Amino acid sequence: MADDAGRLYGKPEVRIDGAAKVTGQARYASDEPVANPAYAYLVTSAISRGHITGMDLAAAEAVPGLLDILTHETVGKEAKPPVGPDQKPTTTTLETTQVWHDGQIIAVVVADSFEAAREAAHRVVVHYAPETPSATFDSPGAEAEVRKTDEQHKDPAKGDAPAAFAAAPVKIDARYETPTQHHNPLELFTTTCVWDGPKLTIYEPTQTMYGLKAAVAKQLGMEPADVRTISRYVGGAFGSKGAATSRTVWIAIAARRLKRAVKLVPTRDQAFTIATYRAETRHHLQLAANRDGKLQALIHEGWEVTSRPSSYNVSGTETTARMYACPNIATKVNVVHADRNTPGFMRAPPDTPYMFALESGMDELAHELGMDPIELRRINDTQTDPVDGKPFSSRSLMKCFDAAAAKFGWAKRDPKPGAMRDGDWLVGYGCATSCYPSNIGPAAARLSLTPRGKAVIQLAGHEIGTGAYTTVAITVAGGLGLKVTDIQVFMGDSNLPPVPVAGGSNNAASTAHVAAKACEEIRQKLALAAVQNNAGIFAGADPSKLRLTDGALAGPDGRREPLETAVGRVAGGALEVHVENVPEGLPPDAAAGLYQGKMAMSRGTGRKDVTAYAFGAQFVEVRIHALTREIRTPRIVSAFASGTIVNPLTAYSQYMGGAIWGVSSALHEATEIDLREARYVNDNLADYLVPVNADIDHLDVIFVPEEDSRVNPLGIKGIGEIGIVGMNAAVANAVFHATGKRIRKLPIRIEHLL
Amino acid sequence: MRPFRYEHAADRAQALQLANGPREATASAHITAPIQYLAGGTTLIDLMKLDVMRPEVLVDINALAGQHGAIRADASGLHLGALARMADAADDLVVRRDYPMIAQSLELAASPQLRNMASLGGNVLQRTRCNYFRDPSWTACNKRHPGSGCAAMDGVNRKLAVLGASDHCIANYPGDFGVALAALGATVDIEGAGGRRVLAFEDLHRLPGDTPHIETNLKPGELITGFTVPAGPWTRRSLYLKIRDRQSYEFALTSAAVALDVEGGVVREARIGLGGLAAKPWRSHEAEAALKGRPLDEAAAHAAADAALAKAAGHGEATFKIELGRRTLVRALLQAHAMEV
Amino acid sequence: MELTLNINGRDHRLSLDPRTTLLDALRDHLGLTGSKKGCDQGQCGACTVHVDGRRILACLTLAAAVQGRPVATVEGLAHGDKLHPMQAAFVEHDAFQCGYCTPGQLMSAVACVHEGHAHDRAAIREHMSGNLCRCGAYPKIVDAIEDAAPKMERG
Repeated sequence: MADDAGRLYGKPEVRIDGAAKVTGQARYASDEPVANPAYAYLVTSAISRGHITGMDLAAAEAVPGLLDILTHETVGKEAKPPVGPDQKPTTTTLETTQVWHDGQIIAVVVADSFEAAREAAHRVVVHYAPETPSATFDSPGAEAEVRKTDEQHKDPAKGDAPAAFAAAPVKIDARYETPTQHHNPLELFTTTCVWDGPKLTIYEPTQTMYGLKAAVAKQLGMEPADVRTISRYVGGAFGSKGAATSRTVWIAIAARRLKRAVKLVPTRDQAFTIATYRAETRHHLQLAANRDGKLQALIHEGWEVTSRPSSYNVSGTETTARMYACPNIATKVNVVHADRNTPGFMRAPPDTPYMFALESGMDELAHELGMDPIELRRINDTQTDPVDGKPFSSRSLMKCFDAAAAKFGWAKRDPKPGAMRDGDWLVGYGCATSCYPSNIGPAAARLSLTPRGKAVIQLAGHEIGTGAYTTVAITVAGGLGLKVTDIQVFMGDSNLPPVPVAGGSNNAASTAHVAAKACEEIRQKLALAAVQNNAGIFAGADPSKLRLTDGALAGPDGRREPLETAVGRVAGGALEVHVENVPEGLPPDAAAGLYQGKMAMSRGTGRKDVTAYAFGAQFVEVRIHALTREIRTPRIVSAFASGTIVNPLTAYSQYMGGAIWGVSSALHEATEIDLREARYVNDNLADYLVPVNADIDHLDVIFVPEEDSRVNPLGIKGIGEIGIVGMNAAVANAVFHATGKRIRKLPIRIEHLL
Repeated sequence: MRPFRYEHAADRAQALQLANGPREATASAHITAPIQYLAGGTTLIDLMKLDVMRPEVLVDINALAGQHGAIRADASGLHLGALARMADAADDLVVRRDYPMIAQSLELAASPQLRNMASLGGNVLQRTRCNYFRDPSWTACNKRHPGSGCAAMDGVNRKLAVLGASDHCIANYPGDFGVALAALGATVDIEGAGGRRVLAFEDLHRLPGDTPHIETNLKPGELITGFTVPAGPWTRRSLYLKIRDRQSYEFALTSAAVALDVEGGVVREARIGLGGLAAKPWRSHEAEAALKGRPLDEAAAHAAADAALAKAAGHGEATFKIELGRRTLVRALLQAHAMEV
Repeated sequence: MELTLNINGRDHRLSLDPRTTLLDALRDHLGLTGSKKGCDQGQCGACTVHVDGRRILACLTLAAAVQGRPVATVEGLAHGDKLHPMQAAFVEHDAFQCGYCTPGQLMSAVACVHEGHAHDRAAIREHMSGNLCRCGAYPKIVDAIEDAAPKMERG
């Protein structure tokens, strides 16, 4: 009967929070009204390595309205050091005098008004003992180490790749680079803290309600039960809000010292240094094939930058090793420590940079073979995981290529680079494979149903733009046989039952399964009561055959009992259940861990039974001005097969947004680093370029139907991240097709094509 | 942002009085001036928030729009009030028809919201986007602190100047409209305590030399009240071509303002400006001279572009802009030549 | 300083630091949090409101400078429960994801139609380019504006 939860899947449904979002009523964290707040403003370091030797606070303290200045000296010992996105040691802030990176929080100024706080912060004079910093790869003093393997980070290998590479007749040996990138969600990294006696409430945009709660409680030595996080709407996240950051505890401490609510709205440039980012990567890729195109060897070595104390890395070789049938595979990942903030999750963290290398390499190999790049992928397509031989739960890669190629008009492509032109514009077509592992985590929820057929579901879920409120409502409406408008969904509050971090594209699957399970429990309770009631129409019937449909409890023979009767039998006001769902393959204590903010995840690459990925194919037409070399992307076509699509309306938006992120990554986004000072320079939205409306013209998304009963019971694969993954290479491949010039370093800009 | 006194000027006389008060300090366009005129505020408020500018008095001159907000064309040329908004001038039908370069330079700039806010007078005084200038946590910036050095010289400088820069500053002038004004030989009307004067627009901005902190030739207390673009047979065959990484809402990497008077395929007069490339709104008399009397073909366009960039010098990442600037001008010239007028 | 702001047809008497921007006056002093702060430096468009019927950026506008001039924010678009045609079109077309840029997009979109810049998709795209959408809803924003424009004209 769990299938009923999916009854309304696949039908476009407008967001149930749509009206709130278009009227300005949706409350993002800094919109939450709090009584008489004081305003915080961060002071951040102007050096990237060294120590603070002193601060001259006199001028700041003289600013009218100033309330407090938190520094290492005043509050440094009041919080335990934070952990990074990998839950391991990371850079600190006020705990010591040490400066680990540019823009590190070194003081928090609090005043009666935002204006006074900002002025006072600007008047703080900091004295440093600076040391020469290392900015990135190749900087003197940067320390490289081979990344250690663990549960999540393995080095897939098979056969004798170097020997096979040496022996093969056709090969590619190339190096690729991706830049530093920052998420830049439009919402800033705000925090508001309010104390009520020993209890702390934190209004902060987060992708991990329980993770943030646990992290802050641990740093402040508090009982997690005394910390409540509220984040009803998140103004863009993309991974940047997927882990606790250093700022929160200082705002909590500021509020505790003042016995007053304290509100922090940091600046845009601070967003580059007080949260995480996608670190720059380098790749050495070696591909070898027979003349028929069959891959013989794949060797992929990656390098990633991280901070001094953290070894955070994304290790996308887990994905690139699994893309194509290949008998000989070798992979390796290195991390390079520099004087930088610790990187973190950013939309498809491993796959985006690593697949740029692989999918560029595949295009190079196709060119070398004189073969159509789609055909090269077809020849090497596989239904079993090339690394460990497990079956893919489903893999519709070539169906995606065929659907997208047809829509795109790939057949019109003249394979010769530089052959296509429209007036003053060189035209290039490119394509690439996209993919993302299918993850699912444990989750809990509370569901109630009234005799009048209204349901309320509560869970500490995260609405980061994915349409989470609506996917849950659709599931409950299906499961309880109600209309979507009959369902109220409460999320974004850690007083509600926990769900996993909204990351790794697990959100829809994790929340849908717990919602479905809650509906099933309600159905069972109603059915059992109905068959046990001698006076009822279902007396003595098989309870497993009764379903909730169209506002009634219905039997297989068409007999129906209104909800009023069925629910009224067991409850006066409402029937409520609290359920926990632990996906198959996870330990039973995974649910308990969830309440402590621990993330157990059934990962698409770590399962015993299958390897689970969603796949897609992405196509782009680039136009490059023959003279001035501006690069434009007038047409983008993507096809994805991601199992069950809960809500095609919002799914389209997710895929579309991902594809636009991909174009952005390929052509625009790069955080520029001053190599002498290891400081971010273009830390604003006029210089850190992302596409504007005029940059995106024709964009198509094709849903390739796919049923996958092995990935999880409802067949849901994630969709939030796959949209970006193939686009970097698709654009680079199209640029090659337009110009004959292979650009192996992102972003691709005018100066690379002059 | 430092505290300031907000003063509202009802008219020009009051504005000048407020800005030329008894205090020894007087308003000027210099970064450190304690009194600043406030019109659209799109540069000033931004730089005050960044703590780059710290005025003590703001004189709000928006009410002067009645006196100095008109857009009018006559036989002598186009008269633009300094308090007209960028959007007003960009949308003006006469400007669009008779001075397309002016209209395009405005509508290709900034965003619709900013074009509704920014006054023409303020727009020409917008400051460089050099990141090292805009962030006071960088100590070396000769524009902010004379003698402190130039962090951009060997830093992240892709967008900075290749023309007119000095050893002390490689900041570029980021605007578009000013480039069109320079190209078309406009004049600027200035009012000060001492009365009215008219300056060639080309002389409004200064090259950085060894005083990059002094950006214009405005005298303390002076206020820009308007611009006049002289009429000429070239203004209708004119355009503004802007090259940038994304399609819209971005400062120019390079731009070319081109106006041509062509008779029988031969260039009688050319007016040429370059944007994005230079330390100030740049007019290329060299390119104009290279074209005069020549048939406009690809060779002539390339010769003009070579002349325009002959003295260009690149620093680091910005070096590519020399070649891109040439190509931009070539493309603009050929496009202007092909215009149906 | 003491000043009166006219927001969505209502006068509000306020005592503000002269440094207060219109955006902060709306959000922190009037509880009108629909207008969003995405950059606070005129680069993202999330704070777009109308002053004198024209779209401007509230983050670069001093509250003091708009005294006596009508200000319209996203909170004033709907009539009670009845959404403005542009709001309805945004919901219908799913022209947003996280929703953070949406109030600014809506105020820009309404202005874009009033300015006469919504006559074709290319014009809409260009004249909506001052409003960044990091989620990448652009094509659907254009769809929504194309849909709403004639409905707005019909009143």
